[in-house]
Amino acid sequence: MSNQSSETSRMRGLMLVAGREIRVRGLSKSNIISLLITVVIVGVLAALPMILGGDDPDDKVGLAGADAAAMQAQLDAMGGFEVTLYDSADEAEQAVEDEEVDSAVADGALISRDGVGTTIQTQLEAAWQAATIQTNLSDAGLTDAQIGEALAAEPLEVVTLEDSANDSVTSYFTGLVISIIMFMMLMTPVQYIAMGVVEEKSSRIVEILLTSLKPWQLLGGKVIGLGVISLVNLVAMVAVGLGVSAATGVLGDLPEGTASAALSTIGWYLIALVLFGTLAGGVGSLVSRQEESGSVLTPLIMSLTLSYLGAIFMLNAPTSTVAQVLSIVPPFSAITMPTRMAITTVPAWEIALSIGLLVVAAAGALALGAQLYKRSVLYTGSRLKLADALRRAA
Amino acid sequence: MLEIKDLQKRFGDTVALDGVSLSAAPGEVVGFVGANGAGKTTTMRIAMGVLAADSGQIVYNGAPLGVEQRRRFGYMPSERGLYPKMKTGEQVAYFGELHGMSKAEARRSAAELLEQLDLTHRAGDFVQDLSLGNQQRVQLAVSLVHDPEVLILDEPFSGLDPIAVDVMGTALRDRAAAGAPVIFSSHQLDLIERLCDSVAIIGKGSIIAAGTVEELKAKEVKQLRVRVDSGEDLTGRLPGSVVRDGGDYLVEGADDQEVLRIAAAAGRVSHFAYDQPTIAEIFREAVTR
Repeated sequence: MSNQSSETSRMRGLMLVAGREIRVRGLSKSNIISLLITVVIVGVLAALPMILGGDDPDDKVGLAGADAAAMQAQLDAMGGFEVTLYDSADEAEQAVEDEEVDSAVADGALISRDGVGTTIQTQLEAAWQAATIQTNLSDAGLTDAQIGEALAAEPLEVVTLEDSANDSVTSYFTGLVISIIMFMMLMTPVQYIAMGVVEEKSSRIVEILLTSLKPWQLLGGKVIGLGVISLVNLVAMVAVGLGVSAATGVLGDLPEGTASAALSTIGWYLIALVLFGTLAGGVGSLVSRQEESGSVLTPLIMSLTLSYLGAIFMLNAPTSTVAQVLSIVPPFSAITMPTRMAITTVPAWEIALSIGLLVVAAAGALALGAQLYKRSVLYTGSRLKLADALRRAA
Repeated sequence: MLEIKDLQKRFGDTVALDGVSLSAAPGEVVGFVGANGAGKTTTMRIAMGVLAADSGQIVYNGAPLGVEQRRRFGYMPSERGLYPKMKTGEQVAYFGELHGMSKAEARRSAAELLEQLDLTHRAGDFVQDLSLGNQQRVQLAVSLVHDPEVLILDEPFSGLDPIAVDVMGTALRDRAAAGAPVIFSSHQLDLIERLCDSVAIIGKGSIIAAGTVEELKAKEVKQLRVRVDSGEDLTGRLPGSVVRDGGDYLVEGADDQEVLRIAAAAGRVSHFAYDQPTIAEIFREAVTR
């Protein structure tokens, strides 16, 4: 009984189990179809800004008079205007009358049927002023280069003194996306791991499996396999999302650090997967029928949901004490810390402490889950109580 | 040579095994017989390392059985199990790989077995879509795919149709002929009698009788069955204790040659032989003793 198999065959057993999960579950029709649907939804969402923006028609502006050419240059530079040139102010006025254009600027007058709204008026005003200045300077004998130099002005640098500097809409959004993805990406494998354990138990195949595999290989292989499937799904979603964003030009608007946030999220995810996945396998082995798996999974699902709700709360109060505590205490930290890091600057010691505690919790979960699994996987019948399972001889 | 030595196992207050010893030599088919709850499944589970014994050991070829050697054993548990949502061919090959075969070897072996079991056309179907009988065949394929050195089968014949029983029986004899020790349990005692070289009978956690089929039969009390074509009742004239069984006389505790002489003098002797007890009779005798 004490003979140990060689290192290679231990790894091989683990990888065979993981490979089977990936083949059977990852390549199953249902998984591929749901992935395709998700990818399409993500793609559509990513393309949404462009689709919505594309529906917004340009404002039609008629121009006439001495500054018309200079003004056209200004409006083209601003974008969002469809410019028509007219020979005289009368013609331009007639065009407004005939609804050929929404408004017209001619000889210093803004002509419209019933006003143009403040936004457009401000834009036209700015263009008018710039064009007038340009014409005047040109008249004063300056070259185009000199005019350009004279008008050049750096945009204002924005400096905020409060800590909520990063609390912008985009980092809020990044944090929201991270918390949603972490939540969903943990929820799915946790349920599949428990279902897989119960399937092997209820079909009694586990008895054959255990003649050539150790319980830790069976459990570990499941966690690895389902983790890989989830990661592949995640990567596919992110790739499609970023790809579509890049193609539609939205990508440039994403804040700096989105990529590093995405990468560190994967690290947090892997630790969290060990924590929740091994526990799911352990509690899954307590029951013998699929119908009962829901009840033993409830505490895990609850703590995942609480972590997610905590992260959502944190988005609105990233500097509160509750946020600070939630993002350090496992298992909540698995979702709340990466979310918090996305929306605000977190002191390094807090991050280190959070990672440390989460790793310790994951190691504890690994030991507990594996013990539970080992002790109860061959037990059939009514549901085992947690305490009984731990009291049982392996 | 597989030796199961002095196994002890308790489940709570229940003594499941109380010193069970059993062995199978290379090429020997051992039938493992016992009433429900006698300890057959527990013994086999311990032999396969699925359950730990409180004491006792499993010795293979003179040394304690190790994990690596056990992976070359073939096992069929009493409660059958397969992955319902996995394709048949893929599943059989997967178990081959788990038992240490390379991917190519496992696939080839799985394909061969499915061919033998007439399941090749179902190789691409999910196991859950097969009939129960075919699932049993897949189960057999799973236990044989890695060309096992030793077979330990718990109730391999239960639920099989007559054709599958033949296939299974042939498979067992083939493995034994190739030098594998085979231990299987069954309630179908006629099958045990037909297939086994030796038999071990277990009752309440201990082996109550064991030996080759001939030995066990020879141990039983012998009854001489005599049939004589004669109008005369010979009950009083034959020596020893005589009982009538229809038209026959069952004679115990007498010199058979003297019985023959008296019978032949009375009429034509159409039957004169010792009754061979069936395994079923031996079993009944052993467990009620």
